[in-house]
Amino acid sequence: MTHPFANNTYVFNEHINVQYISELYSGDYGIIEETYSDVLAEYPSLLENIDTSFATRNLDGLKRAVHKIKPLFGFTGLTAIQSQCLDFERACEADPSFDSILPLFSILHESFVRAQAIIAEEKARLSIFNSR
Amino acid sequence: MSLCCIIVEDLQVAANYLIKCCEKSNLVEVKGHFTNVPDALSFVNEHTVDLIFLDVEMPGPSGFELLDQMAFLPKIILTTSKKEYAYDAYEYKVTDFLKKPFSYERFLEAVQKAQSATEFPATGAVASDHIYIKSEGKLIRLANESILYIESMGDYVKFVTADKKYITHNTIKNLEDRVDKATFLKVHRSYIINLHKIEDMRENCLFIQGVEIPVSKAYKSMVISRLNIL
Repeated sequence: MTHPFANNTYVFNEHINVQYISELYSGDYGIIEETYSDVLAEYPSLLENIDTSFATRNLDGLKRAVHKIKPLFGFTGLTAIQSQCLDFERACEADPSFDSILPLFSILHESFVRAQAIIAEEKARLSIFNSR
Repeated sequence: MSLCCIIVEDLQVAANYLIKCCEKSNLVEVKGHFTNVPDALSFVNEHTVDLIFLDVEMPGPSGFELLDQMAFLPKIILTTSKKEYAYDAYEYKVTDFLKKPFSYERFLEAVQKAQSATEFPATGAVASDHIYIKSEGKLIRLANESILYIESMGDYVKFVTADKKYITHNTIKNLEDRVDKATFLKVHRSYIINLHKIEDMRENCLFIQGVEIPVSKAYKSMVISRLNIL
């Protein structure tokens, strides 16, 4: 396994789209760390909105809540989850019934939980990298 | 000239990122961040801004509803994660459309578009016998003859008339080339005066309605040449 700080460059988690994030922040690791920190601060409330809409079977609210959290995955380079969000929004529009979107939502929600852990771990590693 | 802006965005991450981009650029000064349309509308009704970074989907009224309610539109850069709004953006004649998240380079491109549009307004924005200024959230028509003088206040200028003062975001340097030269004259780096309102002139100053206005050595001969001295 490559050392995370090999050659004085940061090695991102395998789920993070490195090319995308490099272009977005032009390699400014300070801004990347700050943005990850901002994302972690806002993540719980956005996830709570999703859970509340799901619990109340509010499909329109669920779609809007997923739309709202979507840019966070762009800001953190988790572009595959960003695409999953878009697919979910489209599925809601194509077949606007709560039961039909359940399987897709179940997968998406797992991704949300996994993403939070990845972002937290990445923020911690970036903090160490930037303070060297 | 740096642009003064507000950010209307309910996603804190996106707003913080925008603020960082603005600070890094030194081209945009952020006057406020609002997470909903009513708060933003209250602000723009009381203050003049050159540019609004505007999200579309927010709790309550949408970003487009803000545009519908504003009497005067500054430059608008839409920030949204849905490219489906591109057509509406075109209809509202927004300056640019940034799809979140966007790179710093793309942000700069959008700001430079807004800057160019501000520096070179459409022909006809200034008429010979009057001027329109952005103040108090609206466009106000001031007849040249009603303006006594214009005073610099840093990034703002004060238009002084006999009964009211209007503060707007601009500079004397920018106004110098845009006011009617038959009526107005720059007499100091901080003052443009209405030539027809001078009451008396002394060594290094002149008076308009009892207010002393300094005259720089560099401009003194020009002022004298414009007076009808017998």
